[in-house]
Amino acid sequence: MKVIEITDYCKRYDGVAAVEGVTLKVEYGELFGLIGPDGAGKTTLLRAICTLLTPDEGKILVMGKDVTQSIMDIRSLVGYMPQRFSLYQDLSVEQNLRFFADLFGVTEGKRERRLLQLFEFSRLAPFKKRKAGELSGGMKQKLSLSCALIHTPEILVLDEPTYGVDPISRQEFWEILRSIQKEKTTILVSTAYMDEADLCDRVALMHQGKITMVGTPEKIKASFHYHLYRLEGKDVRFLRDFFQKLPSVRSTQLFGDTVHVSFCKKPALSDWKNWQRDSRGNLKRWASQPPSMEDVFMESTEKER
Amino acid sequence: MQRIFSMMVKEFKQVFRNRPMLSIIFIAPILQLFILAFAITTEVLHIKLLVCDLDRSQVSKEVVRGFGNTDRFDLLGFSTDLKEIKEKMKAWEAQMALVIPPGFSRDLGRGQNPEIQVVVDGVDGNTAGVALGYARGILGEFGTNYVKNRPNYTQPVGIHLVNMEERMWYNPDLSSQQFMVPGIVVVLLTILPMMLSALSLVKEKEIGTLEQLMVTPLTRYQLLLGKLIPFLILSYVELAVVMTVAIVFFKIPMNGSYLLLAGLAFLYLFTTLGLGIFISTITSSQQQAMFTAWFFMVFMILMGGFFIPIENMPPILQKLTYLNPMRYFIYIIRDIFQKDSSLFSLLKDAVPMTAFGLLIFSLSVLKFQKRVG
Repeated sequence: MKVIEITDYCKRYDGVAAVEGVTLKVEYGELFGLIGPDGAGKTTLLRAICTLLTPDEGKILVMGKDVTQSIMDIRSLVGYMPQRFSLYQDLSVEQNLRFFADLFGVTEGKRERRLLQLFEFSRLAPFKKRKAGELSGGMKQKLSLSCALIHTPEILVLDEPTYGVDPISRQEFWEILRSIQKEKTTILVSTAYMDEADLCDRVALMHQGKITMVGTPEKIKASFHYHLYRLEGKDVRFLRDFFQKLPSVRSTQLFGDTVHVSFCKKPALSDWKNWQRDSRGNLKRWASQPPSMEDVFMESTEKER
Repeated sequence: MQRIFSMMVKEFKQVFRNRPMLSIIFIAPILQLFILAFAITTEVLHIKLLVCDLDRSQVSKEVVRGFGNTDRFDLLGFSTDLKEIKEKMKAWEAQMALVIPPGFSRDLGRGQNPEIQVVVDGVDGNTAGVALGYARGILGEFGTNYVKNRPNYTQPVGIHLVNMEERMWYNPDLSSQQFMVPGIVVVLLTILPMMLSALSLVKEKEIGTLEQLMVTPLTRYQLLLGKLIPFLILSYVELAVVMTVAIVFFKIPMNGSYLLLAGLAFLYLFTTLGLGIFISTITSSQQQAMFTAWFFMVFMILMGGFFIPIENMPPILQKLTYLNPMRYFIYIIRDIFQKDSSLFSLLKDAVPMTAFGLLIFSLSVLKFQKRVG
């Protein structure tokens, strides 16, 4: 049985499609990433899975149950962490956790054990009397996650959980997600950070309300048919413009002080020598580069145009 | 049930966490009581009175003495010129003038019910109304004394003015506190539940916690009940506090049944809690909710007979007040406080009030259901 099964889901707001014909399956126990820029429709899709939105077209099944029918069953199965911190800022860490435990109908014995577990991984125990509004960004994130996990859900749905969190907290957060996954929890996480895609078992790339690619990160990166090179030089902007005009170049992309250029055909050494001369010495170094998720994503959106 | 209870406990925790809010809830109404009871008074003293005695008889002097014997009127002086009255009133020098026609004592002696003209500056409608009331009282008293002091007088006596106003009967001094304090109880049971429910529901929306609540198995009914019951309880606590202050400190006579008052207050709370829910469905931030609640509140208070007696309003506005649930509750509360009215005699106000309450409440709940989810 698929944990989440989405078939031809469409959702429109005032006639504008936010999600357009998405079909997606999430397997039991996997850490699935929904990757895409802001406005791709990730939040709409996740909210629909959590029974917060009804579809205009299509169907969503969670553990075989329809999200428009078995609403209460699904809410007990799913733990949802919204993008924005949305707990009671004026209640303490512990009060928030206990309140949501009560709402999910967690029995007293189970609740105490669960609280200990959650405090252990989140390391929030020393702060349990502190008001949620006075926590740091990373701690808020962990409290939010703990609240979503309080009823030990089968499925954890996270909407851009690491948005605006510092790199160290992000890394720690992903380690926590991995440990939750080991407890046989299926995790569906959305993110706009392409580098986080490599941390997922499988990912779906989403762009303008549609899924453009689904697969393991390795598979997706292997699907990149072009020859990617990383170029360094004096003036990277000049380099990009120079290569963009060449007929054998598929796409160019600025990456900090380097330029990623993908070629339809692998260039020969003589080609490089010619380009070095033609670019008036701007091209200093070049090296073959394994494609990153970002390269693949950019390439897949390129096709759209 | 467990979920509703958890929701209630959470709501109370939030209210008690919010110290500034808490003190506003409890201190503001008491402050309001003091200010409204002392500062804003409809009691009128030292009305500047001009007398135009065209009769110049023993009897007419007796009438004038009646007005001079009270600190409610300050006798400006005498005049024989009607034009002077007009000028003085225009110049804000006189507020009221008494015109005793020639032949007044003669006509009175013959039992011809002579008329005394009372001219009042109507710019300040409230003062004018109250001043007329005093004048009526004084003239009535004069009539009684006149008959008493003349044992052989057999003619029926009457001084033609407007009919006596009914309310004078229950509040003969027109003491404003007796009139205002029950009104404050009503205002309290309007503002507090409406503001608290609107703000707390909108806050969940604004902060995003509503989304977090909606992914739990909590139903919308449980959510609403868990929110509204604490505010219902708080409203009653507050009602008790204000009533205690009013009765113990202001010595406001409470003649009616406390049980009846509490029961009818419950029916009135449907209106105000319902309005709170309604406001939360049409606004998306606490600021918007605050302003919208303010709008409803001002309309209800102005059109409810709290400051401006409904009888003083133009007929069209008077009819409009029937749409204001607060109007009915103000009548009910004043009747319970001052006349010890029974439920039966209050039905004519209680029935429309309850009907409005249930209508507003159920429509708001329906609207809330649609919006959330």
